[in-house]
Amino acid sequence: MSTVVHRDLADELRLIGSYDAEACMNCGVCTAVCPLEIALLPRRLFRYVELGLADRVRDESETVFSCLLCRACEESCPAEVHITENVRVLRHWLLEGSH
Amino acid sequence: MSERRIGVYVCNCGGNISDYVDVEQVVEAVKDEPGVVVARRAMFTCSDSTQQEIIDDIQGQELDGLVVASCSPKLHTFTFRAVAQRAGLNPYEYTQVNVREQCSWTHTDDREGATRKAISLVRAGIARTRLTKPLEPIVVETTPRALVIGGGIAGMRAAIGLADVGLAVFLVEREEELGGRVGNLGELFPHGKDGRALIAQLAEEIRQRSEITVFTNAELTAKSGTFGNYRAVVHVAGESIHLEVGQIIVATGFDSYQPEAGELGYGIDGVLTLPEWKQLLDDGDGPVIVNGKPVESVAYVYCVGSRDAERPYCSRFCCSAAVHASLTAAGRDANVRQYHLYRDLRTYGRNELMLNESRQRGSLYLKFADDDPPDVARTDAGLNVTVRDLLTGGEELTIPADVVVLVTGMVPRCNDDLVGVLKLPIGRDGFFNEIHPKLRPVETVVDGVLIAGTCQGPKTSAESVASGLAAVTQAAAVLKRGVAELDPQVAVVHSQACTGCAECVETCPFGAISLVASDGGEIAAIDAAGCKGCGACAPVCPENAIDLEGYTDAQVRAMIDSLLVGAPS
Repeated sequence: MSTVVHRDLADELRLIGSYDAEACMNCGVCTAVCPLEIALLPRRLFRYVELGLADRVRDESETVFSCLLCRACEESCPAEVHITENVRVLRHWLLEGSH
Repeated sequence: MSERRIGVYVCNCGGNISDYVDVEQVVEAVKDEPGVVVARRAMFTCSDSTQQEIIDDIQGQELDGLVVASCSPKLHTFTFRAVAQRAGLNPYEYTQVNVREQCSWTHTDDREGATRKAISLVRAGIARTRLTKPLEPIVVETTPRALVIGGGIAGMRAAIGLADVGLAVFLVEREEELGGRVGNLGELFPHGKDGRALIAQLAEEIRQRSEITVFTNAELTAKSGTFGNYRAVVHVAGESIHLEVGQIIVATGFDSYQPEAGELGYGIDGVLTLPEWKQLLDDGDGPVIVNGKPVESVAYVYCVGSRDAERPYCSRFCCSAAVHASLTAAGRDANVRQYHLYRDLRTYGRNELMLNESRQRGSLYLKFADDDPPDVARTDAGLNVTVRDLLTGGEELTIPADVVVLVTGMVPRCNDDLVGVLKLPIGRDGFFNEIHPKLRPVETVVDGVLIAGTCQGPKTSAESVASGLAAVTQAAAVLKRGVAELDPQVAVVHSQACTGCAECVETCPFGAISLVASDGGEIAAIDAAGCKGCGACAPVCPENAIDLEGYTDAQVRAMIDSLLVGAPS
């Protein structure tokens, strides 16, 4: 099944707060340093957002909320993406959409 | 007994030779050969200390011949020629014997056999050296003018460079105007300069230099002559112009890959090649208009016509060029959505910064597998590109796009006539071939013919200019001296024995032999500057009237005889 790509989701998130995952270059350092070994977070998740795959993000809401916001990934990110802030924005968006 | 005073040096090569060849036994076996005065072994013959030892021997013992038995002559011939020269011995009185590649490295299982073979080879080397005579380099005066073929950015910059070192230049361009591909381009990376402006500036610089003569609508149709002195015929406006030049620089550029109809949707409205897209970006401002509509979404498909079965090479410039085009598009309309579908991205060097910037300005990068290219289809709303994105776990995604840009690479330009005239070597990728990509990057196997720019392989404009200037340096190094020294190991005719049968004239692959009048008849004469010393003429002469200096019949016979010493009869 092919999913149609759109960029509205990223734009929507930017209205909620400061969301800056577009600089992500998919290197995977974040995944490597995550103390919870959350494989999804954050690079795969951010790609779902950039590609507009809102359902995928919703499917993974458990994982989004399991993040400790410890900033280990953010400290290591070579593209200087504000990962924890992005996760906060995503949580906000998920909560807004739940009621 | 021989009158010669020969020194023989057998090398251990730090074990490379001595582990498999009994070097001491070799020295023992050859020290009493006729003519040998000194025979020694050395740990490393090429080391400074041993070189000095050889020089001391040559001077102290008044040696008139030198044999070094070590590695391949490809490695150290020039090293030991220089040793001879420093000691006051003619460099052609020296013979290199290869006991490493031909003995120790090949016969690691047979120390005795390897040693026996080494002894034979050294004996043969001594036999050759007994018959050497001093040779002097062939000195030719060179013509202080250069011919540049192709008036694109590389050729134009090369012409200016040659003029600035004081050489006269003929610049030949097939089209009506100078400028080539860059002359039609707008902003270029990495410097952000405008291609058209750059070419206009170079054209003005050329106009200001009286040393440069430009021929447009012109083509090279013939070339003859020998190293440093070539005669070129240029066809221009129905006329043939004869030019005398010392070096020729070929800078004939590239062609863009033209996708076949249907290849990734090429032929559908809105599916463009990178040069077509670049043209749209370079003209006008504000959002780009395609089919009467502003472009809101662009999908780039990378590696089109590169890195496939037919063209396995990477076209190098196109990743950076596509990223740069996307930045230009973002500059014209900040809201344009851009998707880059790539196999591998190589925005090498500082161009990585462009890639980062493009990401920050909203370009999204998706990676597809080599064997799973995207699909481009027309829909009512525009175009749909479907791709399996490896960076999102192989998710199949459909990207709606107004424009699909096929990032096409460079392909070799068809220049069969020029290739025929100059006998240019063509590499496996179809581009002209240099001798060595790093060590001799602008020289070809054809003496005096240099290559520069994209006729040699895909390059950015900046790299083309750099290679044009490299060709200038190479050409100037030859021409500014005014004379060139050529290897004297060439063929010579014994005029008494020659009957003028012209067998050799037919055989010479370099056209260096001709018949000249002599005593009422005709005999062969060899142009020493044109002769490459290949030796093809010597064996075909029915009268044995041709000898190759340094490898005369007498020398070769003596070598064979000494190789047969001790052989079972």
